[in-house]
Amino acid sequence: MDKDNERKTGRAFWKSKVVAKAKGLGRFIFARITKTIGGVYRFFRALVTGILNFFKNLYLAAKHHPRSFLKGLSSFFLMGLGQFRNKQPYKGALFLGIFLVFLLTEFLTGDYIYAPAEIARYPAENTLYFFRDYGGLFTRGIWGFFTLGALTVGDMYRGSLIVNEDFAYDWLQSDNSRTLMGEGVIVLVLVAIFAALWIFSVRDAYITDKKIRAGMEIERFKEWIRRIWDQFFAYIIIIPAVGLILFFILMPFLFSFLVGFTNYDASISLRSDLIEWHGFATFREVFGIDPAFRTFFLRVLGWTTFYAAMSSFTVYVMGFFQAVVIESRFVRYKKLWRLVLILPWAVPGMISLIVFSNIFGADGLMNRLLADWGVTDTVRTALESLRLIGEGGTGTIEWFTRPANANLARFLVLTVNLWMGYPYFMLLITGVLSIIPRDLYEAADIDGGSTTQKFRYITLPWVVRATAPVIITTFTFNFNNFGAIYFLTGGGPRYLTDDIPRAIRDTPPGQTDILISWIYKIAFESGDHNAYNLAAVYSILVFILIAIVSLYYLSRLKSFWEED
Amino acid sequence: MAFREKRHTDKKEATGALRFFGTTLPKVVKHVIVYAWLLLWVGIALAPISWMVSAAFSDAPGIGYVPIIPTSFTLDNYRDILTYRSETGQLFPDYVDSFLTTLLVATVTTVLVVILSALVGFAVTRFRFHAKKPALLLMMGLQMFPGFMGMIALFIIFRVFGWLNNPFYLSLIYVAGAIPFNTFIVRGFMRNVPKSLDEAAAIDGATNLQIMIKIIVPLAAPIMGFIAVTAFMGPWLDYILPSILMPNNETVAMWLFRMNVPTPQPYRPMWFMAGALFLAVPIMIVQIYMQKYVTYGLTAGAEKG
Repeated sequence: MDKDNERKTGRAFWKSKVVAKAKGLGRFIFARITKTIGGVYRFFRALVTGILNFFKNLYLAAKHHPRSFLKGLSSFFLMGLGQFRNKQPYKGALFLGIFLVFLLTEFLTGDYIYAPAEIARYPAENTLYFFRDYGGLFTRGIWGFFTLGALTVGDMYRGSLIVNEDFAYDWLQSDNSRTLMGEGVIVLVLVAIFAALWIFSVRDAYITDKKIRAGMEIERFKEWIRRIWDQFFAYIIIIPAVGLILFFILMPFLFSFLVGFTNYDASISLRSDLIEWHGFATFREVFGIDPAFRTFFLRVLGWTTFYAAMSSFTVYVMGFFQAVVIESRFVRYKKLWRLVLILPWAVPGMISLIVFSNIFGADGLMNRLLADWGVTDTVRTALESLRLIGEGGTGTIEWFTRPANANLARFLVLTVNLWMGYPYFMLLITGVLSIIPRDLYEAADIDGGSTTQKFRYITLPWVVRATAPVIITTFTFNFNNFGAIYFLTGGGPRYLTDDIPRAIRDTPPGQTDILISWIYKIAFESGDHNAYNLAAVYSILVFILIAIVSLYYLSRLKSFWEED
Repeated sequence: MAFREKRHTDKKEATGALRFFGTTLPKVVKHVIVYAWLLLWVGIALAPISWMVSAAFSDAPGIGYVPIIPTSFTLDNYRDILTYRSETGQLFPDYVDSFLTTLLVATVTTVLVVILSALVGFAVTRFRFHAKKPALLLMMGLQMFPGFMGMIALFIIFRVFGWLNNPFYLSLIYVAGAIPFNTFIVRGFMRNVPKSLDEAAAIDGATNLQIMIKIIVPLAAPIMGFIAVTAFMGPWLDYILPSILMPNNETVAMWLFRMNVPTPQPYRPMWFMAGALFLAVPIMIVQIYMQKYVTYGLTAGAEKG
């Protein structure tokens, strides 16, 4: 009775503790969510007020400084004109030059010279597809972005058949929606840059005129260049980096983001079919129509999260343990032990993953060793009793290929990850152990603390606190660790066909596939069933998940927010 | 209540002998246990590596017949990969060609990454920006997007501009990808360089550019070295990106991968082992040499934390 009671109090205590923790976590998450929503709201409010302010300032400028406003306006109609009228010929020539480059690009890449004659011959069609047929880089790009093409192979146009490729007549060539979309994104970014320069020239003309009228001295071109160089030095020196990021990160990002809002899947054969914008239809497909679809997505998401959490956890614990063991007083030649133990970490990941996929191949090292020692059957029975593999297997063990062996494959994925990953944490934690102040331990010794207690109350908190950021980055890294799955198992073993809902039989994940490797399969390895829009939608979902975790982590990192 | 009492008794016990993971054992036994454990893990660590070395120098008929401990030594695999040409009349053998291509990519990447990271790091730490932090956050955030869909876009961009199979433009992607993270690292380093140095130089009439090149960059040399080495190592084992953007101009990673898939001949895991070992050894040496940097970011973060 007494014992029972005691146990209850113990349990009650833990329960209350857990409840308190959960409550705290709930409050915390709620606070984060409200904060995020507040942030998003503030962002849009700032955006709207910014746009409104812009027009308000425009109106005020026109009202109070009408003449200066007109100077600005002249730069609006012809870049540089306002500067010429301000008697700043060099500056004006610079802006005019930019404008001319823009216009020339448009005209030289377009076919405007053919337009008058042909419009007379085919009035109806040409007004409809004017930019398609004659537009230059920019107008054609924008036309293509919004329409994603108009004519495909087999259509009749101007009395001729549209074909795949026609070297003599561009307009007889079918529209490739994917290229149009890609070019459209490029063009939109270029136009945005040009628009920024344009606004800059308008503003410059307006402000200079105001200064002239106020009787202030106007700086000469050379001074202006010098001032721009000094004042915008920071902006100028990051232009190459920002340009590269715009072009090779932002643009592909926009493109793939946009693909999620189209109907682009394998049923679309480019040049014969057009891609169309279809809003949130793919998102609805993922979340709504077929519940099996959703369940399967959640199943893969579940394994991905489990994989990311477990792989981070195992390498952390193992690394911690190993670091403590080597640092303990029982070990001599610490450096040597460490040097040997970190070798797996030093081997490039892709190589060790492919080596392991060879080790666990059908006729790989593992099966041959088992056969040499004559223990294949024993091992199989053992694995069966551990429920790692399904019953009824014969012959050699199929590590990554038999559908019933999914648990074994998943276990091996984690094990290989442990082999590759723990030395990093061993190094890291060894480093942390060396910065824990010695006097803490001395104080604990004086108070009579045991080794366990010293570990529990000094070492553990120190190490966990110092390595917390790394744990989170490791988690997000593993969440998207494409190579760990692709090079090792290739996602195998596959699911039994009966287990896969009909809706995703065309692009099924394997049983060890994490989201990222599944996305790759959906987009590139499903042959006739590649579904780019679906892959894009999953990418967006993964992005949102990962971005939340990482940005949350970044927002907590004080060093990031410190002023420079 | 129960657990509190237990902790109390724990404390009493602990004042006595040294404890070893909760047990009191003779010293010799402890040593034996610890060393046995470490030896076990040394074995686990070395077995696959040893097998790889063994396979690279083995004349076994197939990958399954290679022993863990090398028993034979032959350079046949190396002779083969250094002579095999998939098309007769190629200037270089496949492996050498892919190696040189990757070397070019890695070199261009390194040079550009170092220059651009220095510029960005200087700009970010020494000047005020509009919306500096949101921009940094955005840069980091965009990196989180799974790149595969973006590769279709990159493929289109590359085809439109005729950049496919061109190592130079491939390296531009690596540069763009490396900048956000490097900005982070360089920023952490450069802001610890005292600003009084800049101010003194500015008073003496140095321009911004001179301050950067003559004062800040030399002081940031260690971190620039770290960035250069990581940038150089990056392209060697990246597979997916070049496989899409360099369909006819193989990089080493593509060659390695090709040796392991049965469909496009030749399927030669043994060649993979030989080629991979040749590549892995220098990388491993660099990694081990740079291990002190593993804790660099962490301790820097811990100070600020």
